[in-house]
Amino acid sequence: MPKVKAKRQSVSLDMTAMCDVAFLLLTFFMLTAKFKPEEAVTITPPSSISEKPLPTKDGILTVSVGPDGAIFLGTDDATAKSAMLERMANRMGIAITPQMQKNYNASELVGYPAGAMRQVLGMTPSDVKAKGLMKGIPCDSANNELFLWVSYAKIANPALKVAIKGDANSNYKVFNQVVGTLQEQNINTFQLITSPEGKPQ
Amino acid sequence: MAEISQDGGGKKGGKKRSKKASTKIDMTPMVDLGFLLITFFMLTTTLAKPVVMQLNMPDKTEKEEKSEVKMSETLTVIPDAEKVYYYQGLPTDAATQLLKTDYSNKGIRTILFDMKKRIGDNFTIVIKAAKGAKYKNMVDLLDECAITGNKRYAILEIDPATEGLIKKSGL
Repeated sequence: MPKVKAKRQSVSLDMTAMCDVAFLLLTFFMLTAKFKPEEAVTITPPSSISEKPLPTKDGILTVSVGPDGAIFLGTDDATAKSAMLERMANRMGIAITPQMQKNYNASELVGYPAGAMRQVLGMTPSDVKAKGLMKGIPCDSANNELFLWVSYAKIANPALKVAIKGDANSNYKVFNQVVGTLQEQNINTFQLITSPEGKPQ
Repeated sequence: MAEISQDGGGKKGGKKRSKKASTKIDMTPMVDLGFLLITFFMLTTTLAKPVVMQLNMPDKTEKEEKSEVKMSETLTVIPDAEKVYYYQGLPTDAATQLLKTDYSNKGIRTILFDMKKRIGDNFTIVIKAAKGAKYKNMVDLLDECAITGNKRYAILEIDPATEGLIKKSGL
């Protein structure tokens, strides 16, 4: 019988598959980094030396203040978000259709007077933005809807932490109004969202 | 490195064929670059998380127990759009002197540092934002408090007496 020679194994391997995976991942990260959910308004927070990350454990209720002083509200807690809509719709006497619910869930922020709710929820978030209907939640002593929205969210999840994301160039008066409104509900601790900055020596 | 030898070692024909150029290319640098970019995108997306500055306000609903602070240990700071006013004492007092500085390193920061050094741990900063102040100015001032290590500060609304003092000083 002829001797069977042990076949020599090649040390070089085919990298095509690895390359494929690498570029697939690359494409994925590039695209996800780009397609961030569209913001109703662009808010540039001021910078601070704080290094504390945003605590997200119990859910966050974010009050955003746009450059022109318009107030928006958003939360990452799904229960609080749907409870807010339910109670507000109840108060305004609006029957929520599945289509309205879908539009509401698709938008990150609530930012319109309750009177315009039916109109806003009747269209998709991008249409709302295009038509300029994100005018902000009224927050003055005569018509303080921010108070209602926040209290509805707090009823659904009392552990919600309140973060304030103010634009650097917004007027301090609006911030003061927001803080005053929240203090009326005994919310006294605020997380001011800022962008990081180097610590001076 | 990446090519695989295709000729099985057979020499059946014996005829010598012209050598074909290999179509395989070395993909190692390409893979390297790919993973480098992946790492870059992964790191940059996670590092963009916002930071927060915690702000505690006094409880409004409770009957406030006022903590006493001495007038001499207090500095009232009034942030405005481009400048910062500060004074010691009462705004209604005729002897109270209002001064002006800015947000730069040599401005309000040195003043807070000096006061802190002179007065010690009891140094209290009262912040009364002016009507024209932007949110950024407030955050900057809170930041200065953090930089100078002052934990005792209070945010109050501006009162007419203080506004009058600014107007009178003409700064």
